[in-house]
Amino acid sequence: MNETSIVLILFGSFIGLLMLGAPVMVSLGLAALASFLYLDENPIKLVQIAFNAVGSFPLMALPAFILAGALMEASGISKRLVNLAESFAGPVTGGISAAAVLACMFFGAISGSGPATTAAVGMLMIPAMVRRGYDKGYASAVTASSGGLGIVIPPSIPMVIFGISALGLTVPAEATAQHGTFQSVSIPKLFIAGFLPGMVISLSLITLNYIRCRKLGYKGTEEGWSLSQIKGAFRSGIWSILAPLVILGGIYSGIFTPTESAIIAIFYTLVIGCFVHKELKWKDFARSLETTTWLSGRVLLILFTATAFGRLLVENQIPAIVAQSMLSLTDNLYLIWLLIIAFLLFVGMFMETLAAIMILTPVLLPVTYSLGIDPIHFGIVMVCTLSIGFSTPPLGENLFVAAGISDTPLEEVTAKALPFALVSTLAVILIAFVPQIALLLPELLGY
Amino acid sequence: MRSIIKIVNNIETYLCRVLLVTFVTLLFVQIVSREIFNYPITWSEELSVYMFVWFVFFGASHAAKLSAHNRVTFQYRWFPEKLKVLCELLSDTAWLFFNCYFIYLSYDFVFNRMNLFWKSQTLGIPMKYIYLILPIAFTLMTIRILQVNYLKYVRGVDIEDPESKEMQELMDGSTPENKNQATNG
Repeated sequence: MNETSIVLILFGSFIGLLMLGAPVMVSLGLAALASFLYLDENPIKLVQIAFNAVGSFPLMALPAFILAGALMEASGISKRLVNLAESFAGPVTGGISAAAVLACMFFGAISGSGPATTAAVGMLMIPAMVRRGYDKGYASAVTASSGGLGIVIPPSIPMVIFGISALGLTVPAEATAQHGTFQSVSIPKLFIAGFLPGMVISLSLITLNYIRCRKLGYKGTEEGWSLSQIKGAFRSGIWSILAPLVILGGIYSGIFTPTESAIIAIFYTLVIGCFVHKELKWKDFARSLETTTWLSGRVLLILFTATAFGRLLVENQIPAIVAQSMLSLTDNLYLIWLLIIAFLLFVGMFMETLAAIMILTPVLLPVTYSLGIDPIHFGIVMVCTLSIGFSTPPLGENLFVAAGISDTPLEEVTAKALPFALVSTLAVILIAFVPQIALLLPELLGY
Repeated sequence: MRSIIKIVNNIETYLCRVLLVTFVTLLFVQIVSREIFNYPITWSEELSVYMFVWFVFFGASHAAKLSAHNRVTFQYRWFPEKLKVLCELLSDTAWLFFNCYFIYLSYDFVFNRMNLFWKSQTLGIPMKYIYLILPIAFTLMTIRILQVNYLKYVRGVDIEDPESKEMQELMDGSTPENKNQATNG
């Protein structure tokens, strides 16, 4: 059959090259090329795909957010946010580690990346926890596990990538006939939808942290909350608190597109870094530009070949086949969700998040359309699930970063982080089973 | 002479920095002009998107020079050293093959299929010139792949991708004082 052989060629050559150690972009590109040649189509299509996949205005949000995040780090905005979170710790059991989770949430609102969040928060919070008598391994595990919040709490770079990938896919006609029309996907909508799920995951982490800290006997400080410390952190951090408000306010109110919002954030940060905090140096600025360059080049080159790959999948009805075989297994939506989550967790353990989103969206999104799942809901579940992969072996970047900062063996951090990964997974399952968690806010705000 | 070599060696990153700063500024000026002066600039969005495309493909070539392109490498842990080297060489050969084929395709597309009458919507620049980035950047990238392999196998330089380098920095000395060097991305 033509379809099975095309599946073999596409996925066979892709997985083969990936296992050989070829860059993800090349594996996708050669798999697409082989399929074009097999189908007797002119591969010159690739040239236009290369240009059109990259040349879109919403996609410019990606370098803009990366640059904004790097600049905020260099201008001391991130540092002040972490200090503010730390000042809330006080007398509560497990307070300071809960503050680490809180810091990751604050930080997630300005950064779009997991390891960057872990590093920025860990540098300040892990030593602070150790000073209060926390075990180094536990301190690192908490930070590594909540670092994933960085990509769930908007603005989020993976959500930008999901939005772009989803915009390129049309809703299958059968799905519309069966389930009615679906709402359209947009990046601002995803950003709003991600807010409550981020809260749910944070709450589950904080709850588990409380239980574990009580068991381990990690008490708060004797003297209670220090009002002067909180006030001081607020005063020095006021411009930093405004940063997420500037970014998200512009997007949520609909005045700015996400790209424009990120641009405003860049200039806001430059002003704060140069004139208010006076911490931004020329060297840091050049470094931020450099990082943005190679990171954007790398991610968006994958986007080019992933688009070609995705187009071949859709043109050859492969998502429909996947949907059918899933439905032949079970038609229980909850079981299907569990299958999808298990699959995404597995992929997230081995593959870089953005690459995984670009490859899997064209496969899975049409499947979920035909099952009647809302595309925004699916996108949020996908990003949340993949964010857990940051803190699971063997490729958990957050674990490496946290273990590196605290100078603890990786195995110890990993073992102590696993319960957190488990509770995050439960939270993701909840988010998948209750679509309202993701869809309530966008609906209320009239998106 | 030294400085010329240095510039040629880092040409993509210099071009990218200029492009990045320019399109970010251009967009900012557009926002300010629209929101504050009520004067929307129509041509800036298109221009900045084209600059962005050039930025991305030059950036991809720069990433190749840093050997920063994502690969799946955990399986190498169980490979003997020789097999690992063989796999690395084979996978880079596959990359070179893809690039050469794509250079041929994009060259053919730009020079034989595009004419000067196909112009961009608002600026009216022939699209041919904008598409030129594809053959240029993929040629540069191919040169960078060869350069990396030459440095690695002939000169014995250990090329580390920027992420592992950062990780190493974190492992070596990590006090809150040097946090600025440690995080990004």
